[in-house]
Amino acid sequence: MVKLAYVQLAGCCGCLVSLADTYERLLEILDAVDLVYCQTLMDEREVPSCDVCIVEGAVCLNHEHMVEEVKEIERKADTIVALGACAATGNFMRHSRGNQRGRPTHEAFVPVTEVLDVDYAVPGCPPSPETIETFLVLLLEGKEELLKPFAELAKKTSYCGCDLMEEIINKSMCMGCGTCAANCPARAIEMIDGRPVLNKDRCIKCGACIVSCPRFLWIGDEPIIKAFDVGKVEEGGE
Amino acid sequence: MAEDLRDVMVKGDEEALGPHIGVFTARSTDGRILKVSQDGGIVSAVAIYGLEEGIFDGFVASVADPDDPEEPWKPRPVVITDPDEVLEAAGTKYTYCPNVSALKEAITTKACESIMFVGTPCQVRAVRKLQIVPLGMRHFPEKVKLVMGIICMENFPYEGLRSIVEELCGVWMREVAKFDIGKGKFWVFTKDGDVVSIPIDETHPFEGEPCHVCTDYCAELSDITAGSVGSPDGWSTVIVRTPKGLEILQDMVDKGLLEVKSIEEVKPGLGLVEKLAQVKKNKNAKEIEEREELNLPRPGEVFTKV
Amino acid sequence: MAETVELSPTTRHEGHGKLVLLVDDEGYVERAFYLNTSAIRGFEAMAKGRPAEFVQVAVMRICGICQATHGTASAEAFERAMGIEPPKAGRQLRELCALGNRIQSHVLHQLLVLDDFVEDEKEKVEAIKRIQQIRKIGQYVVDVVGGEGIHPPNIRIGGMASNITETARRKLYRRLREARDLMEEQHEFMMDAIESYCEEEGIDMETFGKHDQPFLATHPTYGDPEKIDFDRVVELRPIEYYGKENLEIALEHNGQIPLYDGVPVEVGPRARYAVFDAVDARGVLYIHVYRSMETLAAIDRAMNILDELNTSAPTLAEWEPKAGFGIGVHEAPRGTNVHMAEVDEKGIVKNYRIIAASTWNFPTVEKAIEGEKADYAEVIMRCYDI
Repeated sequence: MVKLAYVQLAGCCGCLVSLADTYERLLEILDAVDLVYCQTLMDEREVPSCDVCIVEGAVCLNHEHMVEEVKEIERKADTIVALGACAATGNFMRHSRGNQRGRPTHEAFVPVTEVLDVDYAVPGCPPSPETIETFLVLLLEGKEELLKPFAELAKKTSYCGCDLMEEIINKSMCMGCGTCAANCPARAIEMIDGRPVLNKDRCIKCGACIVSCPRFLWIGDEPIIKAFDVGKVEEGGE
Repeated sequence: MAEDLRDVMVKGDEEALGPHIGVFTARSTDGRILKVSQDGGIVSAVAIYGLEEGIFDGFVASVADPDDPEEPWKPRPVVITDPDEVLEAAGTKYTYCPNVSALKEAITTKACESIMFVGTPCQVRAVRKLQIVPLGMRHFPEKVKLVMGIICMENFPYEGLRSIVEELCGVWMREVAKFDIGKGKFWVFTKDGDVVSIPIDETHPFEGEPCHVCTDYCAELSDITAGSVGSPDGWSTVIVRTPKGLEILQDMVDKGLLEVKSIEEVKPGLGLVEKLAQVKKNKNAKEIEEREELNLPRPGEVFTKV
Repeated sequence: MAETVELSPTTRHEGHGKLVLLVDDEGYVERAFYLNTSAIRGFEAMAKGRPAEFVQVAVMRICGICQATHGTASAEAFERAMGIEPPKAGRQLRELCALGNRIQSHVLHQLLVLDDFVEDEKEKVEAIKRIQQIRKIGQYVVDVVGGEGIHPPNIRIGGMASNITETARRKLYRRLREARDLMEEQHEFMMDAIESYCEEEGIDMETFGKHDQPFLATHPTYGDPEKIDFDRVVELRPIEYYGKENLEIALEHNGQIPLYDGVPVEVGPRARYAVFDAVDARGVLYIHVYRSMETLAAIDRAMNILDELNTSAPTLAEWEPKAGFGIGVHEAPRGTNVHMAEVDEKGIVKNYRIIAASTWNFPTVEKAIEGEKADYAEVIMRCYDI
């Protein structure tokens, strides 16, 4: 059984809550792994050696203990997963800049993808329960081909709603479907004249808009054909 | 005795049409639908049937107000929950409408739990991706009950459509009762009963460029695809792709809601659909290659480049 | 000779904490330090110079378990600062959204503390299943009303982004009725579990983990800034609170320590019952009791709101930026959550302060642990759902 550690750095715990929002399926998911570390769910106090380490949250470079913990992860985990926008993209912590009373020196927050050799990234604030579940199933089943997009996403460490302009609209790729607007967890996107318009005051830099864009990332027809039995003629007499 | 669709359907070229169970031609038996629908009124018929039967509790589509003082015929996405409102969404709009964006409202403040979606091939793809990886769409996959696609060669930006209608056809947008594309022409039917048409080639300069990297003509990943191409006026070509799509259509036939014919009995027939699908594929594959010469990414593969 | 025991990180709660205990020869805690070791992401500092709208969206990300309360308190602060009056339905939906969150958060906490009270695996699994069913309904409320179960973006400065449909109202009502039955079962289960725990451990529930600190609460279900006298609130830096003689320990604590009348107070479910229902149960395990009762009350209140809600009424006030200062208070699952905003005439934030619910309870947890056996330190800490 896969030994899985779930480490929380600078974040809000929302990604773990999203995983818990699989409701009746949560126990099944947890039963499929050997959970060796998760500070929110169990009493283990030190990250042990593990096959997979899921990291939630960004790294505070000014938090000595956290930096140590991150180095530990590199040593102890075979596969590292950046779960959620803070770990994958930095999220709204890209706006952090220190000088807060109570700990004025905490100012630099980076996604884990920028400091560790991360194998897979799942952006979103938070990624939906079904996304996390699907990803975990693929990971546990070792479906490397289908995991490729998540591996590629680990290489892009910084996002903003502006990506829609630069990567999609500027390249004459946007067909105005509105997927970005539907997926934006902050409702920062309005569709005007068939194109997304970003309210940058609401953008938290989570990456959900562009990652969900079918022109940015297509998952291939095959998984869809399989999932919905497209073209499947049912045998007669059943 | 109602027909068994399996006896009526034929299989076409999957290379061109995408994977499917069968194709046939059909129209709604409801006069109210046929009066306002684009062709055979298949999408409206399915939506009304599903909402009335309780198979769906929300229908995501687009509506346009032909009488809008500023931007007549400009569509906006809607979530329809009342079967009596379905006909307001009937008819093709020939301009971009972000139907996918309405799905969030459907699953949140409208609390829909079984949704029928209709959209262009690219929108069908967007929804299918979200059903597999619903990144920012909590509990979305379980709520989608049917995805219908419409056959689409390309789309126009709103002002592009307006130019075609007002400059090329010489008709004010607010006078338009219906648009259509068929028989190599772009047609405008006015409220006064006039019919104006121009050769489809003349509309090309107004096509949306992003459509030119799409090689999906028949919404290849839908449950059911419908379109006018291949069938006579007033009828629609229906491509059934999934068991779920077939089940719904068969039940509608059994209940007398659809009149169906073999597509082999009608003109111009399936061959035209296959031909046009292949035209779109070849033309746009070439466009993608040309873009690659400029180091531009292939659609769906942008993420590997950044 | 007192010995020092360190528990780090403390487990089965949100955020990062560390317990440092001075323990006497008998194993009793003479002095407890409960330190917040989470990184300070700096929401207050981040807010400065940014538009109000950005801040209201960002601060929801303070906590992924109780986002609605931060979104609400922040919106309230900005509304008071700029003289904005949300429409009645907006205010009702906001309360409803946060109640959905309270339901899911409270029972999630019951899931986290299961290991403290229940040994039987089968019983645990049954409880988890029931808790997940209840959470599902709580989250359903937040999904529908707030637009997202986690970080609900429909909470806006000026009210709520949109109303819900009649169908949605009916569905929510029906689901909440289911939640009521499930929660009654869950409540009984929790009461039995705590009772048998006390028996087995030989604990007197009336005195276990008791402290003499005052209670602070502003409203049973929403929040009311009029119920706090802010002249009596101070926030101390760790060194000011713990003293230079405990410098090493103080330097490990991230954040400030809020005091009312110069002393730590308890906020949260028990405090709300103490203030509004005049209960006075001092044993710390009673917090579990009141949290459970409050979940039932939250379900009832949510159904009340749905009864009264006009689904075709406007929910969002239009507003123009205006210079001013405002305080927004919302009763989070974990207690009184305070946001204070000062904006300029363009709606740009000049100053922003947050006293998150749990920060009140950090020093209070120390008082509750002191005098008890060190072995119970985390059990007591967890009563507070830090």
